[in-house]
Amino acid sequence: MLDLKGELDAHTAPELEAAIEKCRDEQKYSLIINGAALQYISSAGLGVFMAYIEEMREAGGDIKIAALQPKVFNVFDLLGFPLLFDIVEDEAEALERFDKAPS
Amino acid sequence: MPVLPSGQSIRQALTSPRGTRGQRVLMAILVGVCYVLGFVYHFVLWQTGQPAAPVLEWAYHAVVAIGFGMAWYLLYQYIRVRYGSPAKVFWTTLLLGIFLLGIASLMSNVGAPVSGALVGSAAPGIDIYLNVPLSLLTVVKANLISLGTVAFGLLLLIQFRQLVLFKRSKSSQRNWYLMLGLILFTSLTALWVEPGAAKIILFLPAVVLITINAFRLSWIVYLSFKEKMVVSGLSLLLFLMLLVGFVGLVSDDVVMAGSLLSYYSPMLHTFSVLAYLFGILYCATSLLSLIFHLPTTTDFQRKAGELAAMQSLTRLVSQVFDAETLYSTITSSPIEASLANTAWLVIPEVRDGAIRSRIVAATNTTPAFLNEVLDAKALYDEVSSSRETLHLAQAPADHRVAARPGDGIGSLIGIPLIARDRPMGVLFASKEVSMGFEDDDIDALKVFAAQASIALDNAHLFKEQLDKERLSRELDIAREVQQKLLPQALPPVDGATVAASSVSAQEVGGDYYDVAQVDAQRTAFIVGDVSGKGTSAAFYMAELQGIFHAVSRLAPSPVDFLSEANRALSGSLDRNVFISVVYGLLDVEKEELVLARAGHCPVATINLQGEARFVRSRGMGLGLDRGQLFRHALAEERIPLQPGDVFVLYTDGIVESRNAADEEYGYDRLLAALKEHRHEDAADLHRALIDDLQRFTGHDYYDDDMTLLVLKWHGINLAGSLHSVAAVPDGETHESVALSELALPAE
Repeated sequence: MLDLKGELDAHTAPELEAAIEKCRDEQKYSLIINGAALQYISSAGLGVFMAYIEEMREAGGDIKIAALQPKVFNVFDLLGFPLLFDIVEDEAEALERFDKAPS
Repeated sequence: MPVLPSGQSIRQALTSPRGTRGQRVLMAILVGVCYVLGFVYHFVLWQTGQPAAPVLEWAYHAVVAIGFGMAWYLLYQYIRVRYGSPAKVFWTTLLLGIFLLGIASLMSNVGAPVSGALVGSAAPGIDIYLNVPLSLLTVVKANLISLGTVAFGLLLLIQFRQLVLFKRSKSSQRNWYLMLGLILFTSLTALWVEPGAAKIILFLPAVVLITINAFRLSWIVYLSFKEKMVVSGLSLLLFLMLLVGFVGLVSDDVVMAGSLLSYYSPMLHTFSVLAYLFGILYCATSLLSLIFHLPTTTDFQRKAGELAAMQSLTRLVSQVFDAETLYSTITSSPIEASLANTAWLVIPEVRDGAIRSRIVAATNTTPAFLNEVLDAKALYDEVSSSRETLHLAQAPADHRVAARPGDGIGSLIGIPLIARDRPMGVLFASKEVSMGFEDDDIDALKVFAAQASIALDNAHLFKEQLDKERLSRELDIAREVQQKLLPQALPPVDGATVAASSVSAQEVGGDYYDVAQVDAQRTAFIVGDVSGKGTSAAFYMAELQGIFHAVSRLAPSPVDFLSEANRALSGSLDRNVFISVVYGLLDVEKEELVLARAGHCPVATINLQGEARFVRSRGMGLGLDRGQLFRHALAEERIPLQPGDVFVLYTDGIVESRNAADEEYGYDRLLAALKEHRHEDAADLHRALIDDLQRFTGHDYYDDDMTLLVLKWHGINLAGSLHSVAAVPDGETHESVALSELALPAE
């Protein structure tokens, strides 16, 4: 479970990368990204999710993105991310979905 | 300084102070004449057997003074141009002495009467009362002995002058000339003052100055051990010879040369006595000083070596900008200065994102050997973090040194190199023996290290500057290339006007726009945005440009084009990179625009009546999915065109621009501005939108790449009377003009 806060752009993307890599190294493949406090996301930020989704899914896990603010969701939506990622209302729903899917 | 017109004049200017050759020949002749006159004077005295009249006697003394004075000047001029080493000075003086004093001594023994044979005579062959020579032999003897003795006295003063005035100061020079003056003055008084107590008192000032000048011996310290040995031998011989000559001069013994010289000229006699006295004293002080200096010669030479090494490094500071050469000079210089037996330099280097220390140069040893016998890294870390000099007087006792006695590391010293408060590295030096470094060695090494730090710092700065310049040059080239990838001129579109521009936040960017005529009735438009910024984005932008020009002709329909583009890019895009694109195909015959959006910002559109909206068709960014999902998700939107319809294609840099209050420009402001200016043609509308954006942000620089393309449909009926005019914002800000891509359609 990762909580994002503030802006995710080319400067802050490496922090998220490091966090995700740490989870991967600890063999935690099912991640929920909580975007409730995320104000802004740039294309470089979106790239971080792209970089790891495949790997996580191959390892039997997933990256689910929860509780995005409407404006940030719009950016995800414009690019067609909802077609690739589980973008859900809140963390509870994300957990529910992890439970449903056998992993 | 006067300007000298040619080499000839320079030569003259240099030689003239010494007088021309002609003048010197004339003087030599005069010297000869004076000498002959002196000889004639004594010859006449002998012939007449009577003392000369007082007037004649004074004239004789004047002639003698002038003759020897000029001889002195000539000899001085001749010898002054041949400066030599101290050994050479002593050697030539000795040889000349043997020759001149040899003549004098030979003459004084020729036909010498047995001592006491001539009762009442103070000198052989001279009438004591009348003071006239008694034989021709006496006349010849007096002349030749005087010439030899006095000439040597003159030479002695001229030769030793070089030594006394070596490294002269104002006072040493003054003392020298004062001594010469006093010698001359005392000599002159000899014409009036008879030998006795008064004469000795008159001698005193000259003797004091002679003694003072005899201690001017600074040349000695610069001699090597061997030279000192040679010079001390020569000075001993010269000393003995002068002593014999001096005794001959001052002795009362009638057979000695002194009595004849005294008869010839009391003035010259006094002069010779004083000159020989100076020679004796100078040889004595030189000899003693040389002997005392012998043991310290090696130390002095070592110091001189240090100095020379330091000077060479100081020169390097301003010259060497090649790091490798500098490193090896830094390690070799302490060895050349005999400060250490081995030296090596450790420099921090950034490799794989971490700082690692490395031995970059080693003299008299190798990095491999050093790493074997000591923990170079631990030693470096200690010196570099403490910034203090590390001195291990007994290196093998330290846990970081595993050297055995034969390894040549008995004592070790590590000095931090710090420039502008930044650690540049550590200079290590070692000696074979333990306790090898004395305090002054360490001080010298520290001074040396300070110089080395500056040299290293200069080299680094130079390299940084070079790298920076190269990078900026390369980025300039990249920008030029990228500018060429954007359309230089937009093709004319029947019934429509188009205006477009693109600016990059950095030298190169990831935005792209283009317009291409697919066939007679259809024109393709594209605006794309590669995720991220800078160089990597620019490369993908270039790839997209190639795809647009190649694929739009073969598969002009938006879905086909974008699917092809996605397939083509899938192979090369990094996993975390994607490209959002909006693509439109304008059909002039059908008066229809087909749009498709691959994850890009929705196209803003407005009609003549002011009804505005965003065309938000379904579609994912290029590169997000590399399979079938992309095509399935993609939808086209067909829009029948009415005259006055405007379409605005842009990148997120426009709507995400922020003002000082951190508010985004946003979609609503874009639509409002569009509504306000919808009656203008594409070029004016484009400019109006950019102006509105800049008014909002309040600045004319860009945080992100920004691209804006405006297409206005005027209707096919107007074709021919209206051509598309594309332009960019101008005037208001120079920045935007300079950075914007001006795209004017060719007529």
